[in-house]
Amino acid sequence: MDNGKDLFGYDSLAFFGKVNASISHELKNVMAIISETAGLLGDLSDMASNGTPIKPDMLKSCTGSIMEEIQRGFLTIRQMNRFAHSVDTPLESVNLMDVLDLAITLSGYLSFSGKAHLTPCKDRTPTASTCPFLLQAIIYQALVYTFKSTGPDTAIRISLQAQGDAAWRIIFSGFNANAFQKFPDATTRAMAESIGVVFHFDSTINRLALEVPLTIESTTTEQVAPGV
Amino acid sequence: MMKVLLVDDEQKFALMLAKRLELRGIQTEVFFSGEKALETVEQGHRFAVAILDVKMPGIGGIELKQRLGVLDPRMKFVFLTGHGSKIDYTAGAHEAEEYLPKPLKIDALIATLNRLAEGPPEASNPDP
Repeated sequence: MDNGKDLFGYDSLAFFGKVNASISHELKNVMAIISETAGLLGDLSDMASNGTPIKPDMLKSCTGSIMEEIQRGFLTIRQMNRFAHSVDTPLESVNLMDVLDLAITLSGYLSFSGKAHLTPCKDRTPTASTCPFLLQAIIYQALVYTFKSTGPDTAIRISLQAQGDAAWRIIFSGFNANAFQKFPDATTRAMAESIGVVFHFDSTINRLALEVPLTIESTTTEQVAPGV
Repeated sequence: MMKVLLVDDEQKFALMLAKRLELRGIQTEVFFSGEKALETVEQGHRFAVAILDVKMPGIGGIELKQRLGVLDPRMKFVFLTGHGSKIDYTAGAHEAEEYLPKPLKIDALIATLNRLAEGPPEASNPDP
């Protein structure tokens, strides 16, 4: 395979696989709850058949639980679909809020994930012409490193700040500086460089900023294609 | 009555499964985190079998099994997993007496619990 067209072939695939594995785990949990609830309804039916009085509230609670889990499943599948389509176009104008929202949701499927609060950007729509898949991978990795280091009780704050007309800064705060001792790894750094994303880390105020250029005109489409 | 410890961070799943076990005459104490389950066993509560989810925030099922095993060497273990993957197994899930994938088959779980609670032949599980 031509490396010029496939800078991150295996790493991209590994990221794609990792995210899909966490989504499948989420869906399996949904199915497990539906399965147990349906099983309980079966148990209650058997009891009713044997003459044991069953409270209607219990039946309502079971069906309500099944409906909730079906909605959770649909929502998960919708996120899976959004993620799958992030490889459609190697270079695209994206709303950074959408990219962040998806990365936060996907990282939330990890067993060790904490909470991430995204502050809405009120001034203007934060768009950038970039490679959605690689940007997604970088933000996801930032979240993974934070959650891995600080544990499930973490509540990270994420906000966006315009840097004039040249870039947007995605700012992560609300965590301990130790979280980013190992971030970014070599692959994430290379991915960031390929789309012009720069890391700014200030350990004195426990803040990480990812500077995303408004356009990556200097980087060719071939260079940023994630190789799918 | 058999007494089991059920630990899973998927709260609804754990509660539904506990109800189904209770309906079958198995006393079930549910915890949504490994930390809380450990506290209970540290306080002296005893269970014949612990049913543990492998992937949980904080103390995961594999570490929990090791720590509970120290507190109560007689306790038997069943691991539950949504992954059902080789990774879990090689990470230590094989240390449990049983390893069941979600969604569960309740009859298979009951049969497993009964078998584990009866225990292996005396020679391999001597009384202290």
